Amino acid sequence: MKQKISALALSAVISLPAYAVTDPLESPLWDYMRKTFIGNEPYVFDDQVKVELPEFAEDPTQVPITVDASALSGDIQRIISWADLNPIQHIFTYHPHPDIIPRMSLRIKVQQSTAVRAAVLTKDGVWHIGGRYLEAAGGGCSTPSMANADPYWESHLGEMKSRLFPREEGGRYKFKVIHPMDTGLVDAIPEFYIETISVRSEGGEPLARMELSPPVSENPVITFDVRDASKKHRIWLRDNGGNEFEQEL
Amino acid sequence: MISKKIVIASLLVVAGPLMAAPLSYDLKPQKIADNTWVLQGKLEDFSNRNGGNIVNTSFVVTEDGVVVIDTGPSLKYGKEMRAVIASVTDKPIKYVFNTHQHPDHFLGNQAFKDIEILSLPKTKQQIKQDGDSFAENMYRLVGDWMRSTEVQLPTTVIESDHLTLGSHRFQLSAFSGHSGADLVIYDEKTGVLFASDIVFYQRALTTPHTPGLATWMDDIDRLESFKYTHIVPGHGPVTMDHRPLAQMKSYLQWLDKTLTDAAKAGLSMTEVIRLPISAEFDSIQLTRTEFVKTVAHLYPKYEELYF
Repeated sequence: MKQKISALALSAVISLPAYAVTDPLESPLWDYMRKTFIGNEPYVFDDQVKVELPEFAEDPTQVPITVDASALSGDIQRIISWADLNPIQHIFTYHPHPDIIPRMSLRIKVQQSTAVRAAVLTKDGVWHIGGRYLEAAGGGCSTPSMANADPYWESHLGEMKSRLFPREEGGRYKFKVIHPMDTGLVDAIPEFYIETISVRSEGGEPLARMELSPPVSENPVITFDVRDASKKHRIWLRDNGGNEFEQEL
Repeated sequence: MISKKIVIASLLVVAGPLMAAPLSYDLKPQKIADNTWVLQGKLEDFSNRNGGNIVNTSFVVTEDGVVVIDTGPSLKYGKEMRAVIASVTDKPIKYVFNTHQHPDHFLGNQAFKDIEILSLPKTKQQIKQDGDSFAENMYRLVGDWMRSTEVQLPTTVIESDHLTLGSHRFQLSAFSGHSGADLVIYDEKTGVLFASDIVFYQRALTTPHTPGLATWMDDIDRLESFKYTHIVPGHGPVTMDHRPLAQMKSYLQWLDKTLTDAAKAGLSMTEVIRLPISAEFDSIQLTRTEFVKTVAHLYPKYEELYF
């Protein structure tokens, strides 16, 4: 596998112009997105990077996605996820840690049918691109958040609920945080969203980190798996208003 | 083999001009009991091909006029339904019922706007609030079949638990499990139970506005107390037995248990939508399609219980 990857990478670097590698999702914005997020760095489309989602966005403000790069575990520098045809394309950037399995689930807003991508940068400097196409009727990013109509969030901002679920190997954390995650695309409602999530050890040492963008759904529900469920973890968040929240998971 | 090919080829030649012909639902009234007809829709999802005709509508011809139960997904459907009624009886249409707020059940109302249209009070509110966006969505899903269709609100809210026309006395019961306000109509004279979308049979149920599966399961228990001869589901074939209720019950129980177990195990939504569907439900159309949507509608509430 390793050999095949470097061969592909080599061919991407040396000879082929970008358009020679066809986007399997045939997205009109692929080339532009690629330049935006990974520049001219070498890349391969790689089935080992899985993006899981329903075929159709039943609720365009809450589309579940899972990015699973566990097949490349241990070899990952960074993961970037985006939706080609969203007005704000970036969804999250993930910085891994050996204790945390590189597989995360969350919900996103989509404005229309789009390719949803995950680009995984491995230690050899190659981006591995996975993705799936999502059908949607649209409007998810320009719909006012529910929080806009209900002041509940004002007195509960940053409140978290979480739980550790046993898995066959290790454990799974699922947590939910109250936050409007406003995109700034709705008239007179400025963008207001959680920028950084950091998973920390019991002693406060930062482990994995995620940088989020406003397409992450309101009141985010995020799931991730740890290798050792006997260790305790904490979660730390900061939004673009400078509010910080921290809680034991 | 050769002759078969020729037949197919000539069919294609004929089909070309036919495709360009005006759209028609080609409604076929099915007489299920005395004075009682059902127009059965397809066991499908909304599409350009079926024009949204995935719904059962009915009418009962009494001595003093006709009662219509639901008007279909579009103005065109409503007009065609009216033509079907006129082909069966000369009697005037006296009352039209909208059993609930969903677009396939009331967007034919325009074809009946000279007639009193009745619904539960909450249904009228719901249509007032969401009707336009439902209609818009239908244009997107089925296209030209919807031409000129606009929301026509029910004219009258139901305040009584029965309505009598001619020798037919109809019991009117308010349920809520499917859409928050669901009207079930029982014709005491014929014993036909018009169960609205509280019952789907051989076609997977839909959940965008259910107040919760527990409420819906209670509704099924309540329906079992009706001594009916025929049951007309909102979607799926008419029967003279209890199979539709038994199927609804086991399907609702399975859904509830599956979502509960998934939430207890901490599954993410993308994992839940891929869970196996019990082989018991193999005969039901669209189980996977609807299950995926149901997960979007309901799973967050189940997750909330197990944080």
